[in-house]
Amino acid sequence: MLGRHADSLFWMARYLERSENLARQIQAAFYHSLTRKGDDLDEWASIIRRTGMADSFDAKHDTMSMANALNFLLRDKTNDDSVISLLAKSRQNARSVRNALTQEVWQSLNESWMTGSEALKRPVNIRDLPALLENIIKASSVFRGALYGTMLHNDIFNFLRLGTFIERADNTARIVGSKYHRLLPTAAASLGGSDQSQWEVMLRALAAWRSYNWLNKGHLDPTAVATFLIFDNRMPRSLSFCYGEICANLQDLEAAYGTSYACGDSARAIAQQLDNGREADIYRLGFRDFVSSFMADSNQLTLAISADFNLGP
Amino acid sequence: MFDEMLDGPDARGREPYRSLLSWLEDQDFTKLRKQSAQAEDLFRRIGITFNVYGDEDGEERIIPFDLIPRIIAADEWRRLERGIIQRVAAINAFLSDIYHQQEIVRAGVIPASLIHGNKAFMPQMCGFTPPGNVYTHVVGVDIVRTGPDSFFVLEDNARVPSGVSYMIENRATMLQMFPELFASHRIQGVGDYPKQLFKSLAESAHTFIDNPNIAVLTPGIFNSAYYEHSFLADEMGVDLLQGSDLEVRDGRVIIRTTAGTAPVDVIYRRVDDEFLDPLSFNPDSVLGTPGLFDAYRSGAVMLANAPGAGIADDKAIYAYMPEIIEFYMGEKPLLENIPTWRCSEPDNLAYVLEHLADLVVKEVHGSGGYGMLVGPAASKRELAAFSRKLQANPSNYVAQPTLALSTVPVLTKAGLASRHVDLRPFVLVSPNGIRVTPGGLTRVALKKGSLVVNSSQGGGTKDTWVLEA
Repeated sequence: MLGRHADSLFWMARYLERSENLARQIQAAFYHSLTRKGDDLDEWASIIRRTGMADSFDAKHDTMSMANALNFLLRDKTNDDSVISLLAKSRQNARSVRNALTQEVWQSLNESWMTGSEALKRPVNIRDLPALLENIIKASSVFRGALYGTMLHNDIFNFLRLGTFIERADNTARIVGSKYHRLLPTAAASLGGSDQSQWEVMLRALAAWRSYNWLNKGHLDPTAVATFLIFDNRMPRSLSFCYGEICANLQDLEAAYGTSYACGDSARAIAQQLDNGREADIYRLGFRDFVSSFMADSNQLTLAISADFNLGP
Repeated sequence: MFDEMLDGPDARGREPYRSLLSWLEDQDFTKLRKQSAQAEDLFRRIGITFNVYGDEDGEERIIPFDLIPRIIAADEWRRLERGIIQRVAAINAFLSDIYHQQEIVRAGVIPASLIHGNKAFMPQMCGFTPPGNVYTHVVGVDIVRTGPDSFFVLEDNARVPSGVSYMIENRATMLQMFPELFASHRIQGVGDYPKQLFKSLAESAHTFIDNPNIAVLTPGIFNSAYYEHSFLADEMGVDLLQGSDLEVRDGRVIIRTTAGTAPVDVIYRRVDDEFLDPLSFNPDSVLGTPGLFDAYRSGAVMLANAPGAGIADDKAIYAYMPEIIEFYMGEKPLLENIPTWRCSEPDNLAYVLEHLADLVVKEVHGSGGYGMLVGPAASKRELAAFSRKLQANPSNYVAQPTLALSTVPVLTKAGLASRHVDLRPFVLVSPNGIRVTPGGLTRVALKKGSLVVNSSQGGGTKDTWVLEA
């Protein structure tokens, strides 16, 4: 496959995953803001900070408000990482590799872009927000379904999945990292009831609220939350799960192309750490350092994939 | 004015349309209009869209699709097909000749100045024989009709003709919406065109390679025909490339792939000559592949269509097509040319200036309906302005009579209404023969009375049925 095409596929999946993740975070923040007393804007600021959009937000808005945050995150076309921009970029990438995709996969992207841009033409009415976010998340599900049900599971598929899981791991790491202080063992003792909602919002943003409760009988505990999001390889947004998928897809590519790659070795090393890791280790290493070194390794891996497979224009 | 559906001996219409007409009588037009909107929605969802040059929003549009099919009877088609094959064979013989011995110039049939002074003539091609001696692997011949037996060739498209994806998608849409019509009519298929294209390209390349790696070359995602490029690559199961994807290494053309590199042997290019190779043609082009033309001349890669083929569809050459056909085929043209005044000749210019209000005047190198004067539709002021342009540079123009193009009904808010149409059948050329896909792209001027069918200027398309014998 042409390297440029593989690059488009990889980023197409990343942008779509990013739009889904952003929609989930907005969903969680919105829920959080509705269920708390007073005007708590921290969640909006936190999303904007951890996704690296703070400078661009500050350049456009003097004050933080829910309306400003929603406009900026959902429908601002001049913000490269708004949902509308992400949907457009994902669809644009798909269009440039259309003949690598089945009709159903292409149409799923094209239609979510069409309905998304129609819905986001005007400022979002709070009453329409839940349905709108659900639609954005559903678009990702339809894409995934079409991908699994209609595509050959070959190198095209592998590059798409790599994009998805590298983006997803990055997102989980950002969310965990931005709230690391809430996940320290000391947090349980020092925090009152109000801050329990911090764990809830984090789990909700990762579509893991129910599964966490199901596994832990509703008992909220910072160590349990941290190990769940990082090490539990049953949870489809945990770092461990994502790296399992990254390794599997790289291994498929190595088998298909009949050679092994440096990026495969790096991925396996990261996965190994996550496999062997225990909560004791991350707290011994320092939680914040653990997350930031994970993110650095993950970025290195993206560069290595790009070099090994001739991605890039 | 001749209407292809209604101008029959009685109210049942012309013979090929009778069954369709009686079907139409049973239709609920409100429902048909709803289906028409559904068809356009389907086009958008599939992404059969094009970008308009200069549109700042980069908004994508669709070409309007009219549900009423255009029908061609089997005997009418046989006639067209024979004429088209003759014409396309002559075009290839002409190209081979002017890039080698130039017998036609020596024989005094065509003035040398028309070849050598022509922008579309490519001296770099002289003395080179493309694989299989094929110059135009894909041709679109634009045909208009003025009466039951009167067909004219409006122009030949020998460079990078487009529209074939609409021929195929229009048919697919009709099949989906009105299956009953396909059960009650015997219509020749058009869906195997991409496979025929693949086969035809491979046959041409056969002189230097078996099982070639074929690729489609596109200017990119913002080109107005990008959908078609990706459609054809998809249907043929080949790569869709841009100039920057190709590299010439050790005389071979390669692409960088995820597993290393891979060779490319045949390039069905949908970019114009001047954007192929900055070293040989346009040094300012950022689209091309340095060294591609040398690789082509050394026989390492085949380009389809051959560079320099454009001289055959030049509007100044068009005027000589009857002579060209006779010269190479030794027989009279089966399809007529539209009488054409070459304004470069003083007598012609005088006539054209005097009759400007009745004529259509075109730029010799123009396309897409731009830079054209439709005399009967022009205001006094427009006529005067055009007259000045014409006198300033006469050899840039040719003129033709305004033809009463045939009409076919379209679906409008007020029911059926007749609109002017033309027809672009698609022709594939290989050393093994010339094949015309039974059908083509019918373009229709959706504005009442308009003769301009170009999609860039408000034209739409119809499905085109060629009936079986």
